[in-house]
Amino acid sequence: MTIRRLAAVAKKEWKETVRNRLFLLMAFLLPPLWMVVFGYGLVLDVERVPFAVVDRDRSPLSRDYVYRFIESRYFDYRGTIQDEREIEGLLGKTAIRLAIIVSEGFQGRLSAGRPTTVQILLDGSFPLHADITKSYVLAINRAFSRDLLTDFLVRTRGMTRDEASRLLEPVTVETRYLYNEEVRGTWSIVPALIMFALMVSPPILTALGMVREKETGSIYTMYGSTASKGDILLGKLAPYCAISMINVVVLWATAVWLFDVPFKGNVVVFFVASVLFVLCSTGMGLVVSLLVRTQMAALIITIIIAMVPTILYSGLLVPVSSLGLGARLQAHAFPAMYYTDVVRASFLKRFSLHTLWLDILALAGFAGAILLLAHRLFTKRPNA
Amino acid sequence: MRGHGQGTISAARVWVLRLLVMTKKELLQLRRDGPLLLFLIYSFSLSVCISGVGITMQVKSASLVVHDGDRSESSRELIRRFREPTFRFEGEVPELQVGLERLNQGAAMLFLSIPPRFHEAIRGGEPIALQLQVDTTNAAQALSAASYVARIVGDVATELAAGRMAAISGGRVDLPVVESAPRVWYNPNQDETWFQSIAHILRMITLFAFLLPAAALVREKEHGTVEQLLVAPVTPLHMMLSKVLAMTLVILASTLFAVMVIMKPFFGVPIKGSLALFLVLTALYCVTTAGLGLFAATVTKNQAQIGMVSLLVISPMFLLSGITTPYEAMPPWVQSIMAVSPLRYFTKIAHGILLKGVGLDVLWDAVVAMVLLGGVLFGLGMWRFHKQFA
Repeated sequence: MTIRRLAAVAKKEWKETVRNRLFLLMAFLLPPLWMVVFGYGLVLDVERVPFAVVDRDRSPLSRDYVYRFIESRYFDYRGTIQDEREIEGLLGKTAIRLAIIVSEGFQGRLSAGRPTTVQILLDGSFPLHADITKSYVLAINRAFSRDLLTDFLVRTRGMTRDEASRLLEPVTVETRYLYNEEVRGTWSIVPALIMFALMVSPPILTALGMVREKETGSIYTMYGSTASKGDILLGKLAPYCAISMINVVVLWATAVWLFDVPFKGNVVVFFVASVLFVLCSTGMGLVVSLLVRTQMAALIITIIIAMVPTILYSGLLVPVSSLGLGARLQAHAFPAMYYTDVVRASFLKRFSLHTLWLDILALAGFAGAILLLAHRLFTKRPNA
Repeated sequence: MRGHGQGTISAARVWVLRLLVMTKKELLQLRRDGPLLLFLIYSFSLSVCISGVGITMQVKSASLVVHDGDRSESSRELIRRFREPTFRFEGEVPELQVGLERLNQGAAMLFLSIPPRFHEAIRGGEPIALQLQVDTTNAAQALSAASYVARIVGDVATELAAGRMAAISGGRVDLPVVESAPRVWYNPNQDETWFQSIAHILRMITLFAFLLPAAALVREKEHGTVEQLLVAPVTPLHMMLSKVLAMTLVILASTLFAVMVIMKPFFGVPIKGSLALFLVLTALYCVTTAGLGLFAATVTKNQAQIGMVSLLVISPMFLLSGITTPYEAMPPWVQSIMAVSPLRYFTKIAHGILLKGVGLDVLWDAVVAMVLLGGVLFGLGMWRFHKQFA
């Protein structure tokens, strides 16, 4: 393995990449584009849930109750319907996700000091959203009931409002949100999108670079050359690693300047982890390219390997701790999860190295193992 | 007259026959690509199982550490309420500082601290506040977990208040409160395997329907075999249709397998509507998405380019078409861009037929949108293809 030969292979690969204009454009354009589109567009908060109301009571109190939903930013009022049978159609065609049915005697029962029941119907096709919507509804009911009870105590027991509320709220919880005090969705999604961009794009760049030569047969000039296995593999990897590292800087700057995400961690640790991660992701593309014969297979397999675990098992949308056993195993078997930890912590937490060294060690381990595997799989003397 | 009629019939027969021969060629080419075939099978079988069983977006096992400053009967009873599956109790910490350290390390997501004199305050009727600190590096999950904590503490407060009210009103328990027992339709137990497995097959159908025909077409362009085909007695329409037809057949078979062999028997996905309608619309979706792919294929010169272009197209489709988050929750500008994503309509169709049991009477607008979109994309693709090779 010599630097000169390695550099020659890298230079050849680089020239080929540069000449493939659309390909080169995409390599640089996609990562920041993803960050902007998903950073602004991928909304994970449950807000503006569309709902409709059937108010059979039509009393001042029932209107007061319904108004609490209408004015909440978590709900989006789509109208009052007269006939309860319309609900099924509206939920069926997803015009609404929630229906509230206030029965007759709502005001009557409550004014008489008796409990009343409100019917709540939810669309369960998105279980997470149904669950969160349910807790919003319960919170509104609880607040409404507390106000009623306070009035009731003031009216019937002659308590002051203050006394009544002390009685009604014996325990409260004060919540402090750490690291992302305003709980901005963009702050948690944008750092993870750096991981997404680095995991999805580089493997495809690398895989196609290799299989293209296999498919057209130009790989035989490589086989026949004096360059060693290591020269060829690292030379092939180098341009794509370089492209990806430029992208790391661009993405980092976009996150900090465009999205105003604070960077509280250590720059050196972040970039070391990024280099290791880029080696992993480009290396994965390389391994796939050594196993398949056609670009079509390389393309589809790499996209599946790169995209599916990255969306599902990396902590991007779902924290790894709440995955099932099989999925958690798959999460640990891919480098994406470890890098997500490092990126999120680097941006939002003021971390010290001793909390992240395991993640970084894991990334180094993956990078080493993937490159070794590529070295083992690659042969200059193919049978076919 | 008769002869002319026969001529048209035999011409049509030859046309169909050629299409079938070409389709067979595509299927053969796919069958001979071992790794690709293996992945196709994996994607519609094992992978469906893993994502169906493994992924829950609802808060599950949120790791919780507690600092119990009171160590009383009441505080212990409170801690016991934070149970599986929503919470995972990670033990108590002796000092507040240690709890914060755990959050910093990412070893816990929630840190609850119970103040001293908690028991006394509760018994004595004094209001008291618990402190909760939440790691919000994952904002959506953190908010959801915090709302669970608030729900539990709220229940405790309601019970205590009810007890006190009963005490002062001499045992009377009727109180003016609004109660509700929310009923969840279409998925009463909020079983996430249904949602996740449907989301997964939608992703896989999209990926294969977009990529297989597109890559197949670009491969012919790259190798120059497209010229061979163009001098053969087949039209460009034959070429494009055969690729789409072959992939649609493969995808339909895989989808049917995933639905009938995995999702229905093992996950209990209800399949309330008509399976036949679902398959017909899946075929329509494949053709529409393939149209998108073929259009992309005419814009690109080689497979490396189609690879990058497909990333450009597929990743927003995956994340913003309403598979993972409801479409109506997306910002308006995303909704208007995604109006051209066929997956946006197909998600509605899949949820509608498989979970809600609705038919064409409700879904017709999504179907019409998909037909129009498919027609336009296919037409554009054909037009560009003609221009390039005819």
